[in-house]
Amino acid sequence: MSADHVSLVDVNNFYVSCERAFDYSLRNRPVVVLSNNDGCVVARSQEAKDLGIATGEPFFKVQRFMDSHHLAVRSSNYELYGDMSARVMELLGRYGTWHEVYSIDESFIGLEGSLEQVRSTAAQIRKAIDKVVGVPVCVGVSSTKTLAKLANHIAKHNPGLGGVCVQQLMDQRVLDNILSRVPVTDVWGVGRKSGAKLASMGIETIADLRDADPLLIRKKFSVVLQRTVFELNGQRCIGPVEERADRGQVMFTRSFSTPVRTHEAMEEVMSIYAQKAASRLASEGRYASLLTVTAGTSRFAQGESSFPSAQVRLPRPTRDPILLSKLAIAAMGDLMQPGMDYVRGGVILSGLSDSPGEKQLDLFGLGDEQEEEEQKNVSSVVQDISARFGAKSIGLGPAGMAQSPAWTMKREHISQRYTTEWDELLEVRA
Amino acid sequence: MADEQELMPPDASQGPVQAVSAMGFPSPARDYFDGGLDLNRLLVRDRVSTFIMRVSGHAMQSAGIHDGDEVIVDRSLPVRHASVVIVNLNGQMLVRRWHIDGPKVGLLSDESPLPVWLDEGDEVGVFGVITRCLHHVR
Repeated sequence: MSADHVSLVDVNNFYVSCERAFDYSLRNRPVVVLSNNDGCVVARSQEAKDLGIATGEPFFKVQRFMDSHHLAVRSSNYELYGDMSARVMELLGRYGTWHEVYSIDESFIGLEGSLEQVRSTAAQIRKAIDKVVGVPVCVGVSSTKTLAKLANHIAKHNPGLGGVCVQQLMDQRVLDNILSRVPVTDVWGVGRKSGAKLASMGIETIADLRDADPLLIRKKFSVVLQRTVFELNGQRCIGPVEERADRGQVMFTRSFSTPVRTHEAMEEVMSIYAQKAASRLASEGRYASLLTVTAGTSRFAQGESSFPSAQVRLPRPTRDPILLSKLAIAAMGDLMQPGMDYVRGGVILSGLSDSPGEKQLDLFGLGDEQEEEEQKNVSSVVQDISARFGAKSIGLGPAGMAQSPAWTMKREHISQRYTTEWDELLEVRA
Repeated sequence: MADEQELMPPDASQGPVQAVSAMGFPSPARDYFDGGLDLNRLLVRDRVSTFIMRVSGHAMQSAGIHDGDEVIVDRSLPVRHASVVIVNLNGQMLVRRWHIDGPKVGLLSDESPLPVWLDEGDEVGVFGVITRCLHHVR
């Protein structure tokens, strides 16, 4: 018998838990975290869930709970969540025989040993992350990824298990009872759409899907869903899951707090985002050969919509912020439609390499050698200054303004960036 | 007198420069160079469990912690008698010395010669143990 087990570890209410790790006043009360621009709820504490607040609910709709139920509201603090996630993941990696980061708050890890040993390791993991990083996790263990996800789900919804569920150690009748009650859409990999189609075939619960004919499922749906059926029967067939963060590109896209309507404002956006993306490339030591710009109107707006997008292939890999900024502005050029309210925009750098590539021969003689040399100097000066005095200290053109332009992200309820900014450390009283 | 800015090396932000000689006899010291002194290695036992906070107030000077200092906090260390800790006491984040006396636990500071004893009504949570203090000398 194989002593190699699959476990899924994920942080409970991750964003809220990160906030609570530093701000004790948020404990034991309802808390919600808002999306970009404080638009709607993206994360909820258990207390907020109990109030009936749903994910995606617009902020103005939950505002009344702030007075009536002492609801606390926070803007998304991505710097904090990113840092806390990195800590959780590094710690997890120390326990597993293998480790796959699945999302900001979820990982699959391999554990070895007897079922009892694995249960004790899982409990240790839970205790360690709670103590060392300061956020609560649940651990689900089973023989396949799909079942580990399910075990995690069971651990989450049954507080009596102490946050750990080893599926094979469960009473078979209890497990069967759960599987025949939980809707099939709660299985990892079953979307709402296939859920409706499955229901029309009489497959409504997890137990129904587990007992379905894999060949029929493959014929009516896909090989992906067939794998899910195999996995529910304990047969491992989902390989390494790609990390969602893409190593192949650097993306800087954001929603604006106020819509962008004019050419000038869009130039500002493109210039700043290109420079941000360029400095991220520089910090990773990479160069891009393809630049993509995008913008878009709101998907919820009435009437016409507009989603301009353009790509520029660079003559050779670069990370020069001046060049990229100029190209981004030029690429967006006249694609904007007059009278439209653009609510988001972005610059994506792809075709990444670790070296700037060979300089191409200039057929027409000396060419722009001198100009390029100058640009190199300016951009290295810009990078040095931002490295020493902070990203807001200098920028090219519009990016250099001390006052943020009106369209930058609205984060009115943001907590301090306790772990990434020296001037936002938690203050403690001596 | 020279302006202090003028005494700064021109490219302090660039980090150490490594000389490369393309030809000739390699430096006999090269294999022994390991990046110089790295403060992170000295100050951070484990980055997963290490957090940095800023202190305000004057009640922990006997522990060498002054107003405006940054402290390095390790969450993974056990809290023992006389550990200097970050503790949440009834909603306030404090720097205090943990004082164990038999079954009783108290918090010590320069404010009083006796510990403030914790009782059941208090909401108490230890965030972590302070391992280092970064004192501002000027």
